Amino acid sequence: MQDRLTEALKAQDVEYADIRVEDTTNTWVNFRGPDLDTIGSARTVGGIVRALYKGGWGYATFNDLDDLPKRVREACETAKLVGRDTTYFAPAEPVVDVIPARLVKDFRQVPLAEKKATMEAYNRIVLGYHKSIQASSVRYADYFKTVHYANSEGTYIEEEIPDVNMIVAAIARDGDVVQTAFETGGGADGFQSVENFHEKAESAARKAVELLAAPPVAGGKYSVITNQVMTGVFTHEAFGHLSESDFVYENPRMQELMQLGKRFGGDGLNILDDGSRPGGLGTHRYDYEGTTTRKNYLIKDGILVGRLHSRETAAKMGEQITGNSRAVFFQHPPIVRMTNTYIDQGTAKFEDMVKGIELGVYAVNSIGGQTAMEMFTFSAAYGFMIRNGQIAELVRDVVLTGNVFDTLMNIDMIGNDLGWEPHGPGGCGKGGQHPLRVGLGGPHIRIQNCVVGGQQ
Amino acid sequence: MIVEKIIERAMRKAQAAQAIMLTQETSEVNFENDRLKSAESSQRTQIDLKVIVNGKVGVSSTTDPNDVEGVVSRALEAAEFGSEAHFDLPDAQSLEPVKIFDPALLPLEKPEMIRMGQQMMDMIKSYNPEILAGAGVNKTVYKVAYANSKGANYTADHTEFNVGAGGALVRGTDILYAGHGIGQKKRAVDTEEIAAQAIEYFRLAETIVPIESGEMPVIFTPSGLIALLLSLGLAIDGKNVHLGASPLRDKLGQQIADPRLTLVDDPFVEFGPRTSAFDDEGTPRKVTPLIEKGVLRNFIYDLDTAGRAGVKPTGHGSSRRLTNLVINAGDTPYEQMLRDIPNGLLVHEYLGLGQGNPINGDFSVNVFLGYKIENGKLMGRVKDVMLAGNAFDALKNIAAMSKEREWVSGPFAWFSGLMPYVQVGKLSVTAK
Repeated sequence: MQDRLTEALKAQDVEYADIRVEDTTNTWVNFRGPDLDTIGSARTVGGIVRALYKGGWGYATFNDLDDLPKRVREACETAKLVGRDTTYFAPAEPVVDVIPARLVKDFRQVPLAEKKATMEAYNRIVLGYHKSIQASSVRYADYFKTVHYANSEGTYIEEEIPDVNMIVAAIARDGDVVQTAFETGGGADGFQSVENFHEKAESAARKAVELLAAPPVAGGKYSVITNQVMTGVFTHEAFGHLSESDFVYENPRMQELMQLGKRFGGDGLNILDDGSRPGGLGTHRYDYEGTTTRKNYLIKDGILVGRLHSRETAAKMGEQITGNSRAVFFQHPPIVRMTNTYIDQGTAKFEDMVKGIELGVYAVNSIGGQTAMEMFTFSAAYGFMIRNGQIAELVRDVVLTGNVFDTLMNIDMIGNDLGWEPHGPGGCGKGGQHPLRVGLGGPHIRIQNCVVGGQQ
Repeated sequence: MIVEKIIERAMRKAQAAQAIMLTQETSEVNFENDRLKSAESSQRTQIDLKVIVNGKVGVSSTTDPNDVEGVVSRALEAAEFGSEAHFDLPDAQSLEPVKIFDPALLPLEKPEMIRMGQQMMDMIKSYNPEILAGAGVNKTVYKVAYANSKGANYTADHTEFNVGAGGALVRGTDILYAGHGIGQKKRAVDTEEIAAQAIEYFRLAETIVPIESGEMPVIFTPSGLIALLLSLGLAIDGKNVHLGASPLRDKLGQQIADPRLTLVDDPFVEFGPRTSAFDDEGTPRKVTPLIEKGVLRNFIYDLDTAGRAGVKPTGHGSSRRLTNLVINAGDTPYEQMLRDIPNGLLVHEYLGLGQGNPINGDFSVNVFLGYKIENGKLMGRVKDVMLAGNAFDALKNIAAMSKEREWVSGPFAWFSGLMPYVQVGKLSVTAK
């Protein structure tokens, strides 16, 4: 493939061109309720050529690999239609590298029958847990993707990306109240990562049943403690997206808002994005422009010190490349994305955070989040009221919302217990590209004056 | 044809098989941050195969038309451990004629698409040069070929045209995104109207106004109705009904909404964004009344779920996706609906929709684009406001529906449909 891509790129006549070809085989097993819902497998082959000319991009995407030089020419012609200004594109050292997968138990060798039997066992645990369990959803997926990347500067990277993921969800009902709870699992190192999940399956069912009896949280302003997963989601959703410089680089007002050196939080606040962190969901050696990934400080000691770049945004802003140009599938050109984003741990003990709160909410795990620049909203899987310095009753429908600038300033305690969201399906969506694998992490943090949605 | 060849191969071992093949060419131009940013050509091929072997279902897919052997053998392997088939593939049937192909789109090339985008950009910039404008024009031409072992054999040529414009306006720490777009299967489109609508959202948001927490009447714009339709869509999904997860599972024939409300799923709208004659299981599409005068009339079923539930498939595909949703026009002019509200909220877009427990009807969303109504007038944009309630309660509590209706479709839309403005009696609004 290296020769084919290099040969095809000879057809380019623009300032920069690259080509990415992906070959993916995937399988899935889904149970809904007592029945097997779907089982199957697919193979997807395709690629994209990018051409850059006078600041304009031309793209050609394809499933048909037969005539790659034609696709290169097509992308170049399109780029010439678009390019009218100056090209900004930061240099990156050419590299040639091959990154093979490392699997303990290769899921490609595991027969579909075994995958099905493994999931069926978890499904039975959920359905048999309690009479109020109404339904279940157990979804298993794996993929083995080989990415070939070459550019007109001589870089060629071949990376194997394996992934196994699973979600076990329980749906409990009592009258008109329906509650869902779930656990996720998986990993990049093989099928063993979804084995021995029986206790977690049971705990999902237990949580769904418990939530039936839990009251919805009353809307209002509270002192809120978020657990590690929720901290990770908050960091990613509320702040991380603002650090993606494609929002900033051609927007003078956003540049003012996100000016380096500006204070965003207290002295103890450190936010980082690290695509090189071993074992992370968003970890890769290179991004999709051949840039080496690295540890990037976004906020250091409360001060904004950096942001995430592609080669284009870095050049335009005169900043260093960071290795954050990523794409979900070959149909998409890479855009500026996070990798593994987290608030670094501080010194506070969890007990001490709770102690100081008269009336508050402890928000645990996440079932999604969304952001529109400075406004964010995200939902906890469940929560607990905090009363008189102690964790009190379980509550449901905990939705946190607010303005990121206020909220970061309102963080008054940062825990000493950095943790990461467990492996599972899904990922981040941006610009129509979903789901991109990202790592979310952080310690427990305490936020004052946080708005919690809900009926009053 | 490839689909027939696949069926023939699969039937050497299978008792039933269906194949569907999509071939697609897309051209697209994108403006970002005030300038023409990129253009794209894409070619796509996708083949999906479903087989039934010894009463069990296996599926597989490929992007490679030369991989007939591979896709057949993977589907047959999956069928060995597959789910039990609760259905037969449909026989060949006559299809409703539909308008889904506009030859006028074929000669449309990128330079003209760039001109259309530039025109919308210029309009937005001339309204307010501070807005960082963006626009997109996307033309897709595709062919769907379906064949099954019962002799059904359909092909359909579609064209699709998506046009949108919008932008971002940053003032201090306030960032406003707004935009408007359309998606349809014909070329005729009014770019000026699209840009004008996007500008209208910015114009209404020029002032940010405070709002007090409390219960108040809320007007949902046609796009804003997604807050209610999301829950309804999940609750009428035949699979959720069959599994007992839908709160509407035993409400067929019952009053579930205000008697003024009729909601129909219409796959035959001329050049409608989701118009087509057959679904991906070879089931001919048909008009499905969902709610008639407030009475729940139908759930939607794919082949397998229909078989399990002992009902007929409704032609919404294997993933039970709604087509063009149509709500009847009301009898209140929009201006009058607004005039009659002393203190309320008009909601258009949300953050965080679908989190929580949507099938239950409960929603608690951040109002991303909403406007305060005071003494019958839109006063300005509200911020940091949560809207909470229950979609099914809200449908029963409709106060008024507008005479005017608008199409919701295209790049900014969550669904496709023709909708009025709908005023709901009272909902809980929490302001910071």
